[in-house]
Amino acid sequence: MNKYFEFQNVVKLLCGESALERLANELEHLGSKAPMLLSDAVLAKIGTMQQVVDAMEAEGCKPACTYTDIPVDSSLKVVNEIAALYRSSGCDALVAVGGGSVIDTAKGVRLVLSQNADDILAIGGVENLVRGTHIPFVVVPTTSGTGSECTGVAVIRNDENGVKMEFLSPFVQPDAAVIDPRMTLGLPPKATASTGFDAMVHAIEACTCLQANPMSTAYGTTAIKLICENVEEATRNGSNKKARYAMAVASTMAGVSFSNSMVGAVHAIGHALGGVCHVPHAVAMTILLPHVMRFNLERCKDSYAALLPWMIGMDAAMAIPAEKRGEAAIEAVAALSSRLNAICGLPLTLREAGVKQEDFAKVAEFAVNDGALIVNPRAADEAQVIEILNAAY
Amino acid sequence: MKLALQKLTVGIVLRVVHAALVELYALDSRVRDEFNRMPEGMSYALQTGFNAPQLFVQWKDGKLHNLKHLDKPVCALRLKSTGISFRMFTGQMGLAQAYAQHAFSMQGEIADVMKLARLVNLVEGYLFPKFITKHILTDIPALQVNPLRVYGRVLCGFLTGRYN
Repeated sequence: MNKYFEFQNVVKLLCGESALERLANELEHLGSKAPMLLSDAVLAKIGTMQQVVDAMEAEGCKPACTYTDIPVDSSLKVVNEIAALYRSSGCDALVAVGGGSVIDTAKGVRLVLSQNADDILAIGGVENLVRGTHIPFVVVPTTSGTGSECTGVAVIRNDENGVKMEFLSPFVQPDAAVIDPRMTLGLPPKATASTGFDAMVHAIEACTCLQANPMSTAYGTTAIKLICENVEEATRNGSNKKARYAMAVASTMAGVSFSNSMVGAVHAIGHALGGVCHVPHAVAMTILLPHVMRFNLERCKDSYAALLPWMIGMDAAMAIPAEKRGEAAIEAVAALSSRLNAICGLPLTLREAGVKQEDFAKVAEFAVNDGALIVNPRAADEAQVIEILNAAY
Repeated sequence: MKLALQKLTVGIVLRVVHAALVELYALDSRVRDEFNRMPEGMSYALQTGFNAPQLFVQWKDGKLHNLKHLDKPVCALRLKSTGISFRMFTGQMGLAQAYAQHAFSMQGEIADVMKLARLVNLVEGYLFPKFITKHILTDIPALQVNPLRVYGRVLCGFLTGRYN
């Protein structure tokens, strides 16, 4: 047991069928009459955002302002722009509809507004902020992967140096999250698989990093079980609401887990790959996970072994000799990504993801400066990060 | 009385840590590389508790200066209690463990904490014996010089007033 740990999840979860229709009521209870709606151009185009607007308006809640230009890798500049628009439009709440980038951008906006700041860069740090003004904030995730709806961190790109910066504060957590399986029904197979794997990485790193604790592990292990049972079906048959719902809940649980125990080297290197080579986060996670697990194995044999029953079931896990279960967990992860590759062509190597080897030195330099590395069970220097990148190439 | 002793100890160790960093710049290539990559004027502030010793250091003109005060440090760390600081500076808890236990808050960029963490890990690798470092460091760094040489240079530095 940890000598000391902290655990917090203040997010009210509205989960399941008709969750979306309860959003207006939730906003009213939070004291909002003029919410600002944040999303991205794709969700605006395919009608997902309109679905949310319709559900809100049907219950008498009309967004006062809508912003749909949030890019895939949002930036500090976008955060500051939206905060200024919020103020000039007289909004009184934030509703984020989207994946990790939209939700993390909204978290950044909330920080700027609640701290009465103009520039998010000026308030960066770790657990350094006081509560500030309460800005009602509800999120509607449209992917099942980031878990951002329940995390106390916002990851936002600094365009000046290409670094993905982490803003850690308990006050970035939304007031409520709408986990409605209808929101992910339109997610293409490859995105379903990669974001599902992202959730898997959150859960595995949360259960095995230095900050892992009994509470975060309880959430993480259940998330692993739900993902292993449902990610292939959700990828193969996107209209299967049961699988979509299970994946949405798994992603949220993995988010709660890693928000309270951090992640590790997969994320540190993945953030750097995103910043330097623009590899989508979930794709980087999928490719890196087995390689980083192999790197960490000497320290994580027991903790990986403890995850095996959640991955392949208790009977199958017990049939494997105890001393081989750690390696078996890595093989289970690698086998899952291979099966997903067969179903939807999910990239399995950095080469397939378009990464160039000449960028490895820069990626390694960024990775060792990423906060996620501090709680990785094994320290990694730039040379070791390059070894991992070469193995994943 | 216990608190006063803890503060006194932390204050002494802070000065030794600064001195060790100055000496390791000359002795250890990893420390040298880390500082040489820092932007001119990079600064850290470390607050070790309420009314407890503080450390202000700045990298300038190829030297790590120990200052009395800094108005706006680039990176400011605040340990949440004197007791935590005492455990950290007496080899009972490493920086990664401190982070995992939410033992400090930080104003600035996390990347700067990571640079400091690597430096502190190296200093601890030299200043503490292996039976301590194996409990507080994720990985024990390879030592490029004998720790006694570091202690010797730090002692000489204090005697000659090199760190004032």
